[in-house]
Amino acid sequence: MQEISCLPFLLFLPWHWDHGLSAEKTVPPVRAKGSATVTMTAVNTQKMNNDSNKYQSRRDFVRKAGKVLVAVPIIGLPVVLSTRITTAGTVWQIDPYKCNTCGQCKTHCVLTPSAVKCMHNHQMCGYCDLCGGYLRQGTKTINTGAENQLCPTAAINRKFVEEPYFEYTIDEALCDGCGKCVKGCKDFGNGSLYLQIDQDLCVNCNECAIARSCPSDAISRISDKVQYIPKEKI
Amino acid sequence: MLAWHAVLFAQERFPRPEFESGYVYPEHQMPADRAPVWEYIDLAVLIGALSLAAWLALKVRSRQGLLWLSVFSLAYFGFFREGCICSVGSVQNVALALFNKGYSIPLTALLFFMIPLIFALLFGRVFCAGVCPLGAIQELVTFRTVKLPRVVESVMISVPFIYLGISVLSAATESQFLICRYDPFVGIFRLDAPYTMVIFGGLLLIAGIFINRPYCRYLCPYGVLLNIFSRFSNKHLTITPAECINCRLCEDVCPYDAILPSDVGRPVVDPEKERKRFLTYIILVPFFAAAGAIIFGTLSPVFTGLNSDVRLAREIRAEAESGIPAVSLAALGFKEAGTTEAELFEKEIQTHERFRKGSVWMGLFLGISFGLSLVSLSTRTRRTGYVPHKGKCYSCGKCFQYCPVKLNKISNDKA
Amino acid sequence: MIKLEEKDLKILRGISTGAGIFTLIVAITMLLSIVQLKALDPLDNPAIVSVKEEFDKDHENAVKAEQVRALDLMSRKAYFSSRRQVETGSYLLLAGAVIFIICQRLIADSEKNLPSVPGEKTDQSTENIRYAKYLAGTVAVVTVAAIVSSFILRNELPDLSGKSIARAEKKKDKKEKTKGLESVDIDNFSPDPTNFPFFRGQDGRGIAGGTGYPVEWNAENGTNIKWKTTVPKNGKSSPVIWGDKLIVTGAEGNDCEVYCLDKNTGEILWAAPASGLPGQPDVPPDTDHDTGIAAPTAATDGNSVCAIFANGNLVCLDMDGKLKWGKNIGTPANIYGYSCSVILHDGHLIVQFDSDEKVSMMGFDTATGELKWETLRRGRSTWASPSVATFNGTTQVLINGNPEVAAFDPATGKELWAIEVLSGDVAPSLAINSKFVYAVTDYARLAALKPGPGPSIVWEDNMFTSDVSSPVATEHYLFISTGVGDVACYDAIRGDTLWTHYFMDQFYASPIIADEKVFLLDRSGLMHIVNAGPEYNLIAESPIGEPSDCTPAFSDKNIYIRGRNSIFCISQN
Repeated sequence: MQEISCLPFLLFLPWHWDHGLSAEKTVPPVRAKGSATVTMTAVNTQKMNNDSNKYQSRRDFVRKAGKVLVAVPIIGLPVVLSTRITTAGTVWQIDPYKCNTCGQCKTHCVLTPSAVKCMHNHQMCGYCDLCGGYLRQGTKTINTGAENQLCPTAAINRKFVEEPYFEYTIDEALCDGCGKCVKGCKDFGNGSLYLQIDQDLCVNCNECAIARSCPSDAISRISDKVQYIPKEKI
Repeated sequence: MLAWHAVLFAQERFPRPEFESGYVYPEHQMPADRAPVWEYIDLAVLIGALSLAAWLALKVRSRQGLLWLSVFSLAYFGFFREGCICSVGSVQNVALALFNKGYSIPLTALLFFMIPLIFALLFGRVFCAGVCPLGAIQELVTFRTVKLPRVVESVMISVPFIYLGISVLSAATESQFLICRYDPFVGIFRLDAPYTMVIFGGLLLIAGIFINRPYCRYLCPYGVLLNIFSRFSNKHLTITPAECINCRLCEDVCPYDAILPSDVGRPVVDPEKERKRFLTYIILVPFFAAAGAIIFGTLSPVFTGLNSDVRLAREIRAEAESGIPAVSLAALGFKEAGTTEAELFEKEIQTHERFRKGSVWMGLFLGISFGLSLVSLSTRTRRTGYVPHKGKCYSCGKCFQYCPVKLNKISNDKA
Repeated sequence: MIKLEEKDLKILRGISTGAGIFTLIVAITMLLSIVQLKALDPLDNPAIVSVKEEFDKDHENAVKAEQVRALDLMSRKAYFSSRRQVETGSYLLLAGAVIFIICQRLIADSEKNLPSVPGEKTDQSTENIRYAKYLAGTVAVVTVAAIVSSFILRNELPDLSGKSIARAEKKKDKKEKTKGLESVDIDNFSPDPTNFPFFRGQDGRGIAGGTGYPVEWNAENGTNIKWKTTVPKNGKSSPVIWGDKLIVTGAEGNDCEVYCLDKNTGEILWAAPASGLPGQPDVPPDTDHDTGIAAPTAATDGNSVCAIFANGNLVCLDMDGKLKWGKNIGTPANIYGYSCSVILHDGHLIVQFDSDEKVSMMGFDTATGELKWETLRRGRSTWASPSVATFNGTTQVLINGNPEVAAFDPATGKELWAIEVLSGDVAPSLAINSKFVYAVTDYARLAALKPGPGPSIVWEDNMFTSDVSSPVATEHYLFISTGVGDVACYDAIRGDTLWTHYFMDQFYASPIIADEKVFLLDRSGLMHIVNAGPEYNLIAESPIGEPSDCTPAFSDKNIYIRGRNSIFCISQN
């Protein structure tokens, strides 16, 4: 019997346990009261042996047959699916041309914050002073004041480039995928802001929870050889 | 500012600026790619862990080894790989691939489906023993054991069959991945989930302290397949390392009721009545199958609610009939999109038809399962010793410590 | 099994209880905070909204701006800190749970787990029989419940099984009978290569059937001009064709006539008077000096020729020019002059009666002239013409209106659906494809509508709108020509502008699509022919040498254009 005084050691010495056990139980235990004792004659034993042999071989046959029966569909499965197997995996991506900025990308992702982020294709941007994605509807002054911004988490940075152009960039760490800026840009601008799933953050669920409820069916599985669908000028 | 709404998907309203100050456009960079090689690493770990579990359960017979393997599986497949992709969910991928030409199943998903089943066919449910992260997390909280009354137990273990049927139906009709959606533990693995799922998982684990492995026994759909496959395995975990001495010490020890007693010392019964009952149940199997097919085929419209197209079509139809405008996001999205109502209703009818066909097969499957379970409950197998029920036994090894039989090793041990 | 000393066990128990309680507390706290977050999103709370509204009313006020900024900063802080809290909370939860589990495991493993001594050995088989009975019982109860509930719920679920069988049979029949037709769907629009029966062709869609239409002609040197005929009285109505007969109308003052020409030779076969009808006003209504009262285009279905004039004269002739019936239905007087063309559908003559006093749709029996139905419309008069289409299995007559685009049942006149779209002067007719209806007018918008019941606007634009010319749509593209000379091609489903081109002249005639080309006739009589596709590709420009406002007709590889003075037949030599 081992006396263990130091707890952590327990966790690293699992094989003690079996030893302790076997050391204890070398003596067969006392039969519990009430268990029936069976007395068998020699003849009965013989008959039972014969029967049990037949029985055993029947059982074996059933088991072998069952094994084959059950193994066939499993081995056959890759054959049946042979034309529909890909060695590439799949990832989830939003089609920026189908997205209607309903706002569910923020709320339906299993992660918090969502793995969907707003991305900006500067090549499509108009660099406008009065940016539909940056400024709230109805603002009278154009500056970076919080009262004028559309983004609830202040994730868009506005930088002056040259007259009259301003550069807008998204701070992905602050963006939560709500899509308000995307909607504004699509309605009043060139549509250069768009929502897309960030593969760095996405856990690649078997079925994307946002895809399940996307009203415009914009999210689909694409081969992981092409991991991103950027929005590009058509 | 123009204050009206236009649903145009691409419109260059403002021309591209011509910069004079030498401004260079920033590159349209995307965040980092995910590394697909991890899925193949997972496969390798899966095969290794399965082999190790089989060795631990069958050869070495070490419950502690299996527990530590469970800890590893929980850490790797559970917390590190965040529980996805798993074999339990792969059932849906296979269902989707079998019935939809447009979907290509990733090789890893197919192998995650097949490999544990092959191991089950060879060695029993070693996947459940130490490899499945869902099983692992439940196994690690089994401090106490409370046994449900056997009657309740025998009814509740039929729930996974229904869950398997419904989730395969739902996956094959491209409706939902129910198993993934209602996986109670994946939220814990990700440390991020809708709070309802975390509560469900937590409650299940707390219940699991007493009613051990509740998900495995009463919910896991993959377990149905493992159950079937494991029954035909030649090599399976045994309670005793050698010949059973019928000491009956292991009889009440399995928390999952998977130990079949020997028929040594049992009272004698009437074989004629038994055979008649057995034959009756065998003959009843096709009737149950047909009844199942008919009932589920008729009830198929109930399941169509799983499909989002059907729900949308119902909403649009209700709007047309009652005049109350449909306001769900899906309905608004539909109104702004290119699909006509006729196309939507056509899709609805096609989906209903798919559900009907699928439900018939589900009913057949459930009917046959029910019939066969009655048959198996009326058969008498002769056993000379205590053996685990190959279908139900999770190869967890809890029974090892209760068996007094020791294998005499011819070695240099002390005599 | 290891033996732990009593005091070690006590310590373990203490730790595990502590860890358990800690986990529970963290869990409950997190739950409460999540529930609170769900109820009140810090980024969206009403306080911010109201402060922003106040600021909007008074945007010079710096104080209010400061308020908004402060509240915004607070809300953002709250949002991010709550996110961090949940994250740390989940780690704490995990840590607490792990400690609890480890301790409990150790405790459980150290307890002396002696096997329970089983009692009397029960017979597995009899027990199994009992379980079988319970299993069967439960399944029976559940099955009965399912069957009963299916009967109860039967009324709530749509009866689609019958519909699906009927539809499958219909599909089979259709496939057997009509192999040439395109998709089985709803709209079987397939224009005839010979007959061009209404304004803008069959069903008023702007799409002509047949192929092999000439693209180059020149009226100055007579290239590809087959014939040129002048009719006695002129008018702005467009030619319509059935078989070998070409029908136009003309008027001088109050005298109206319907002419029939042989489309192959240009010879006038007959000229039927359409004046002197009871109720005819003495003085014709005011129109532009060269428009006259013969602006609406006639309609024919091979049995009858029906025409209406701006003084309200409505006549129906047979194909040889004999009057079947004629009456005056009241003068549709409006500011620019009446110009709505008539159409025929299934034995009904559909008239769009738009005047300053009354705006309605009328349906006459083509054979007898009896007024079968009249449905009043809402809004003001327009100068567009009706079209026919089938949506959701219902054939309907569609009208562009001010403000509503509406659809009517041609047999009963019942209004099927209507949606407010436009305003101002509505003259262009609708463009239609199998999915959408397109309505446009100048100074309003171009809108793509999903037809009803429950119609909606799918997309709209206001960059290129026309004031007179009607747009035309195929399944994929929408073409519009404007009164300033622009031609634009839109993606019919999504509304993206695919290409535009500025031609010098205005467009009044409506474009017609034939043979995958768009034929655009400008006011100077020059026909611009472009590819009916997503890229601008000018194929040819061919003049008829005189101004024209009429929409051309297409029939059997010939194009028929009515200029200000003559009717031309363009044919490839």
